[in-house]
Amino acid sequence: MSKHNRLWHRSLTATVAALLAVGCASGGGSNGGGSTGPLVIGASVSLTGDFSDSGKAVQHGYQLWANMVNASGGILGRQIRLDIVDDASSPTQVVTNYQNLINKDHVDLTFGPFSTLLTIPASQVAKRYGYAFLAPAGGGPAVFQPNLHNFFFVQPAPTVQSGDVLVKYLLSLPADQRPTTAAYAELDDPFSAPLAEEIRQKLEAAGVRTVYKQVYPSETMDLSPIMGAIAALHPDLIVGGTQNEDSYNQVKSLVQLKYSPKFLFQSNGANSPLEFPDQVGAANTEGIMAPADWYPGSKATGSAAFTAAYIKAYGGTAQSVDDSSAEAYAVGQVLSEVANKTHKIDNDTIISTLHSGTWPTLLGNLSWSANGAPNGEFNLVQWQGGKLLPVYPPSIAQAKPEAPKPNWGG
Amino acid sequence: MHALVQGIILGVLTAGVYALMASGQSLIFGVMRVVNMAQGAMVILGAYLSYQLFASLGIDPFLALPITTAVMFGVGVGVQLLFLRPLRDDDRSQLSVLATFAVALLIEGVMTVIWNTTDRSIDTGYANASWTVFGYEITLVRLWAFLLSLVALGLLYLILNRTRFGRAVRASVQNPESARLLGVEADRVAALGYGLGTATAAAAGAVYGMLYPFNPGSHYDLISRLLSIVLLGGLGSIGGAVVGALVISVSSAVVAAAVSPIWSQMTFFVVLLLVLVIRPRGLFGTTVRGGL
Repeated sequence: MSKHNRLWHRSLTATVAALLAVGCASGGGSNGGGSTGPLVIGASVSLTGDFSDSGKAVQHGYQLWANMVNASGGILGRQIRLDIVDDASSPTQVVTNYQNLINKDHVDLTFGPFSTLLTIPASQVAKRYGYAFLAPAGGGPAVFQPNLHNFFFVQPAPTVQSGDVLVKYLLSLPADQRPTTAAYAELDDPFSAPLAEEIRQKLEAAGVRTVYKQVYPSETMDLSPIMGAIAALHPDLIVGGTQNEDSYNQVKSLVQLKYSPKFLFQSNGANSPLEFPDQVGAANTEGIMAPADWYPGSKATGSAAFTAAYIKAYGGTAQSVDDSSAEAYAVGQVLSEVANKTHKIDNDTIISTLHSGTWPTLLGNLSWSANGAPNGEFNLVQWQGGKLLPVYPPSIAQAKPEAPKPNWGG
Repeated sequence: MHALVQGIILGVLTAGVYALMASGQSLIFGVMRVVNMAQGAMVILGAYLSYQLFASLGIDPFLALPITTAVMFGVGVGVQLLFLRPLRDDDRSQLSVLATFAVALLIEGVMTVIWNTTDRSIDTGYANASWTVFGYEITLVRLWAFLLSLVALGLLYLILNRTRFGRAVRASVQNPESARLLGVEADRVAALGYGLGTATAAAAGAVYGMLYPFNPGSHYDLISRLLSIVLLGGLGSIGGAVVGALVISVSSAVVAAAVSPIWSQMTFFVVLLLVLVIRPRGLFGTTVRGGL
């Protein structure tokens, strides 16, 4: 390369770098603090496809928060305008959506989609353009691996740690009331099996003997043979690393096999206030435990207002509120808190501010590690008298844990 | 040992449910050489019909069978007239795979619109009841499903062997040209045959809905299993469907209980491959038409 060409090449490189720097700064630094127009927040949500039920619940949560903030004058005097687009539950479409929201619609801020599958690629797009990315769902281990500085998972803990509260509760019991044997039936997916494994390792370390541990594929329709094998071993504790359908199947099989363990914990499914009793029979829910971040009757910041607004907008009762809506609402709460604290609402401020301190939401007080993983803990909820009640830790408990679990049928 | 025996009991009883579903599948292939990809969706539709009658009107799924069976028969005849009759005879077997898969997707879409994607269960008072016999649990619904499948298969046998319609079906299967010359209306027989095969999905769906949670997408898991059962038993053989269901259901349950649930899924495919390598037409399949 000649000297002339080298100089030309250097100056071109410098120009491109400068342009990129300006571009990035203007892309991410939507200087909301000084503007008076509406604050436009873009989000891609699964309104169709596999995640559509949860996606719509997320949309409800975002909308409720925006409506409530707007009714009270907006954020720093600016009305919130949500720009929500459908990603059809597709990880390809979600990338296109966030690129369009940022580059075409020039939204000021972005909120996250539903599920780990979509959050991973979406958070990368937000990172590329310097946007803060507050995600209400999708806390699988892979989300935190890229160590994105702009990412915040707005739940109390990473999903695979949501069973830690069960371990703490069991180990808080007097030695003669603790389970001595445990069985683990785990669905083969990125959340369920790792979550149950985390519980198993901690309980084994505490001396609880594992008598059964098997992972089953998601296409397993009939769990009776697995639950039959577990029932034959009479474990004190059964931990189901479950999603919804297999959670119902596990309980139905155990009822049919007439085996009721002293403790039954399921990572998902059992924490669904409306569907679970419908699926397994209301009388069979008594004593079953699950993790939860939000629960009806929670005294956490903003929970009462959220619940009232939800029921007014969508009907039903507090028991029918979808926790995905609560998680999405918490995303908005965090944003409001940042604005209240800093009197600014731009991406750089959000990112730098949220990496320190504790942030009150209806899910409890949240704080984050450098990679966006939350540092808190889930709550332990239990079915008692047909309701899902928080029972541990004692600071939030609305009832004492019921142990041992009564026989099937209450 | 207890778990193993319990696994065998569960496997045998569950085989009744699969035999019900697969008998219709086998009948449809036997009558028309249609590889019916829609049978799983029909079973789920049957489950939804039972669910709706139970949830809205309180009609027990077993007592609702005359209604649901009649509706499913009508759906089957409709599907045959609209989607399968237009297919040319020469290409019917190949094109029927695509046509019936499209029907399955259509039914799934309709079910999603009507009942959305939420999981449903038919929770009758006895859905989770079981009898304890020598320390082993016999699930009531599975036992009834097993008995129901014997009754349904017995009825199918009587219809095919003791009625004029049955003779027309068998004549069409064995020698379509001669049957036509003797006055058998092939189109009418095909429509009624498809309707009859689909009608078995009503009973299968009712039982399925009581045993497992279901949603509009549940048919994908079902269809691969149903196809495996009819391939194992021999395409077109109703007796073969029963044996295929028994082999697949018992082997899956025993392996899941005694070895690992992961290997359970693999086991029946291994059994299927072994049978097909040794006997390509399946256990009871025939090389010529007339396997019914």
